[in-house]
Amino acid sequence: MIEDDLRAAFTRHEQLTPPTGPLRAAIDRLATGRRRRRRRWQVGGTALALLGVLGIGVPLFTPERSGPPQAAGSTGETSGPVVTGALNILLLGVDSHKSQPPLADSVLLLHIPADRSRPYLVSLPRDLKVPIPGHGSDKLNAAFPFGAGGDRPDLTKGYELTRQTVTDLTGVRLDTGFVLTYRALRTLTDAVDGVPVCLSQRVRSVHTGKLFPAGCQRLDGAASVDLLRQRRGLVQGSQDRDHNARLFAAGLVRQASEKGVLTNPVRLSKLLDTVGPELVVAPDGATMLDLLRLVPTLRSVDPVGLSLPISEPTGRDRYLRADPALAPEFLTALREDRLGDWVARHPERVDPVG
Amino acid sequence: MTYEEFADTRLAPLLRYAVMLTGDPHQAQDLVQETMVRVQLNWRRVARADSPERYVRRMLTNQYVDWRRGSWMRRVLLRGEPDEAVPAPTDHAQSAVDRDQIWSWLSRLPRRQRATLVLRYYEDLPDAEIADILGCAVGTVRSSISRALATLRAEYVEACS
Repeated sequence: MIEDDLRAAFTRHEQLTPPTGPLRAAIDRLATGRRRRRRRWQVGGTALALLGVLGIGVPLFTPERSGPPQAAGSTGETSGPVVTGALNILLLGVDSHKSQPPLADSVLLLHIPADRSRPYLVSLPRDLKVPIPGHGSDKLNAAFPFGAGGDRPDLTKGYELTRQTVTDLTGVRLDTGFVLTYRALRTLTDAVDGVPVCLSQRVRSVHTGKLFPAGCQRLDGAASVDLLRQRRGLVQGSQDRDHNARLFAAGLVRQASEKGVLTNPVRLSKLLDTVGPELVVAPDGATMLDLLRLVPTLRSVDPVGLSLPISEPTGRDRYLRADPALAPEFLTALREDRLGDWVARHPERVDPVG
Repeated sequence: MTYEEFADTRLAPLLRYAVMLTGDPHQAQDLVQETMVRVQLNWRRVARADSPERYVRRMLTNQYVDWRRGSWMRRVLLRGEPDEAVPAPTDHAQSAVDRDQIWSWLSRLPRRQRATLVLRYYEDLPDAEIADILGCAVGTVRSSISRALATLRAEYVEACS
């Protein structure tokens, strides 16, 4: 009889069902927006992956010139043969100036799963509060200057301390990594004869006074770096800067593919030859050659963009904190090379790098 | 089948199913919305399934069962603007809900148990299909149903004594 009551209760409550018309419209609207974001991400992500590949490829093409700086802080971690199995590569985008200690403005983990399906690009927010070995707790981007030191910053040591910090934070074994400075970015941009971008808002450089009008323009290396440094004065600060960086990355890929750089190995190696010496490569270079060899084995080079789940900022906290519920699950998936499953369960987490 | 054709015929039944799962029209809308956005974005994969309908029902059910673990609940709770698409329940419907004891007991059941009851007594699906949707063994479905019914029976006894 309770079964009958249940059936009756369900049928009675069918009247609660709202009309489907507005819901259908909302679904279409949301899907369109998400599709557009996803496409934007894919273009930007390809650019970042390209940069990653460039960084990995450098030692192979220019062994004599890009010889990694002697790494005093190297832990001598040997990862052994890595052609099979999952790979994690740490990418650091660094704001370097002679006058001030460099900050790691973007910290990215490039994860290549063992099945070689497609790369995952995991961004770790630079304002994340993390324990930094030997320096208490601070923002993630502070690990780099702590390691590099103030007077004559040693990028390799900065990389090393950031690597330790990220390893402690994520528990992920990092196979290798590289540092991309603004100087390298400038050389790269000039090597492809400038990059077209279409800005959505005008930007006045607080560093050089240069005005970037809203709309489309072609930027040379110096102008690109100038633009990408601008954060103050933008409506949404560092979010808008990230947006500009994505525009730039998309333009860079477009430009590189127009020039046939991506498909022509001669041009690519020439480009690497130019940019190579500007890139600082992680000291564990033994695996680099293997890494480069595995790039063609990837079934797709379109990376999946993810970021470490963050809890909602509370009040005026100047730090970001990892989401206590989602972050451990995410990191476990990353460690165990199950990001594909995780993404399937949390498709809404696939996002442009923020 | 195209996504449009699927939505034309299946959206309304899915929404009704979501109402039975959540017991609330607003949450049902959010649940269906989130699921169907994913369905639309991944339509080719969904269309390849033997039964797209069952595939989507499985997506929706998992989303519901994963409620706390996933993020959509949080988004629903934090969302500031009221959804104008949702008609406010009429007083009549509301009071009917208040009077309806078995309906309110359902909300105390664990979500998986509630889902099995809805699939069994609202959708009238056989145990094997329910097991497929929930991704568990047929025996688990049966024990889950009998446990849920036992809980409801206990509520009955308590209410009548």
